[in-house]
Amino acid sequence: MNHMTLNKYQLIIMADDKQVVLERILQVTRYRGFLINGINAEVNTGNNVATITMSVSSERPIALLVDQINKLIDIKSVKVDNRAVQTQQYSA
Amino acid sequence: MTKSKTLTGGALLFEVLQEHGVQHVFGYPGGAIMPIYDALYDSEVKHYLCRHEQGAAFSAVGYARAAGKVGVCLATSGPGATNLITGLADALADSIPVVAITGQVPTAAMGSDAFQEIDIFGLSLACTKHSFQVTDINDLEKVLHQAFEIALEGRHGPVLVDIPKDIQLAEVTQRLDKLSHLRNKVKLPLADISKALDLLSHAKQPILYVGGGVGMANAVEEVRNFAEKTGMPSVSTLKGLGAINPDNENYLGMLGMHGTKAANIAVQESDLLVVVGARFDDRVTGKLDEFAPNARVIHFDIDTAEINKRRDADAAILGDLKGNLPLLATTLDISDWQQKLRKMSIDFSWRYDHPGENIFAPALLKTVSNFMPNNTCITTDVGQHQMWAAQHMDFDDPSNFLTSGGMGTMGFGLPAAIGAQISRPHDTVIAVSGDGSIMMNVQELATIKRYQIPVKVVLIDNAKLGMVRQWQDLFFDGRLSETDLSDNPDFVMLATAFDIKAKQISKKSEIDAAVKEMLDHDGPYFLQVKIDASENVWPLVPPNTANDKMMESV
Repeated sequence: MNHMTLNKYQLIIMADDKQVVLERILQVTRYRGFLINGINAEVNTGNNVATITMSVSSERPIALLVDQINKLIDIKSVKVDNRAVQTQQYSA
Repeated sequence: MTKSKTLTGGALLFEVLQEHGVQHVFGYPGGAIMPIYDALYDSEVKHYLCRHEQGAAFSAVGYARAAGKVGVCLATSGPGATNLITGLADALADSIPVVAITGQVPTAAMGSDAFQEIDIFGLSLACTKHSFQVTDINDLEKVLHQAFEIALEGRHGPVLVDIPKDIQLAEVTQRLDKLSHLRNKVKLPLADISKALDLLSHAKQPILYVGGGVGMANAVEEVRNFAEKTGMPSVSTLKGLGAINPDNENYLGMLGMHGTKAANIAVQESDLLVVVGARFDDRVTGKLDEFAPNARVIHFDIDTAEINKRRDADAAILGDLKGNLPLLATTLDISDWQQKLRKMSIDFSWRYDHPGENIFAPALLKTVSNFMPNNTCITTDVGQHQMWAAQHMDFDDPSNFLTSGGMGTMGFGLPAAIGAQISRPHDTVIAVSGDGSIMMNVQELATIKRYQIPVKVVLIDNAKLGMVRQWQDLFFDGRLSETDLSDNPDFVMLATAFDIKAKQISKKSEIDAAVKEMLDHDGPYFLQVKIDASENVWPLVPPNTANDKMMESV
């Protein structure tokens, strides 16, 4: 039996309010091995900037996901909310 | 005074392509892209009609890789667009700048399951660097400029622009603006130059690990200068081949699953890896935990996401390799290490004294390499022939060896050779293929016929899916499941049907004359080389195994 460490993170993503930006983030998140536990997205219609708050969990380091989301063309910034980081052991 | 003119969306497309220096495009027409093809009729851009959209995509990739320009391909909606996807995925995996234009059903019909409607915009998310769908004619010009900029910015990649039919037909005033500029969103941290210099000064057994990023950064000269000045022994990935001069006395060849014994042992024994434009791909590292176990790492890359992705870097140097690498060029006192590896390279050098009269593919490819003119561009498909070409042919620049590295796409070689030949009409272009791979895009022989493109094809024919057969023999108890191709067509007759001169050889004694005849022929040529089906590619690092535990025979 392998003991795995599942880490939970909260990301705060600022993005241009462009076509399918949310789909792009979701696709990258799934492909890079992160589960989405919750998501909230809002758009400031004044400056057309979307703020996406996303809770994710994975055994993988969060930097892997942050770097990949940051590569998306429409992303302005990605931050990890360190106050929300949790670690949990489970058996696989 | 700003000039402006009114034209259709389709005509605007070709105006913008020409602004970006595009002279050649590859494509296939269809219903939802007819206004663009109507505009093409009046355009100075030369269109090459491929016989399958996948062929068009790979020709665009080959064009881009051989010429260092953006490759452009066109396809209609629905199946035309989906047929591009494998080519785009290939371009994404190998970081190739391609702009794909797809027609789409009219905006009013979108979302209605219309004839030949598919959500190519959605499908593109996982196989492009970025994609656009233009739903307002006033956005088209800006989007097209952005597509080119994104394809070439930072780490190169493919961009798809989906244009509904009504947008292609709509009239718009071309702004003739200066190109839009993306903000430089990559916030590069300060490079660890002093840390890297410190690591370098303490290294006794360093290795320069060269990847495909070198060619794409246009930094071949800087890497060669670095290798010369430091005297550092070097190894190359599949895509890095050609970056180091093969005559460099400290060059050890390709590393990884089918790398040279000297290269793999040297990397395993190294105490410092200077990684330039490479990404610790699984085909390179073998068992990652045991890859270069005692080495510190200096990692040069343009892509932040590659740093620490598979191997932690002790010093990361992000940004333009061309400017950054010379900062580390210093003389090193590593003569014992150099001498040890030079001896190892000689001791483990390739042997071509194969018994019998049958053709030994490595010797055949070595002969082609020896006879071919300078600056010949080689493309390959995927399989045993690909690895033999990588091992036994010499390349004087990365743009002279075009192979599907990341995606490993069978069917790449022939259309990529067409694109390469069109981009470099005065250079010899040879597609080295296998009898499995060639059939995946064999229809492109018709493209060669139509335009009399003088591509040479060397078909390594073992009547098998050779690499899969090899693995079935080695790792699946010889259970040869669906790898027999003994019912292949008569390839000489097939090529001849496309008016391509063709010949079959099967004996060693025929090699020299046949290769010379092929190279001297003024036009396309198809050389079928029959080889023994039981030949394997050696050495081989078995899956999930350290690179110094390679198999050299059975």
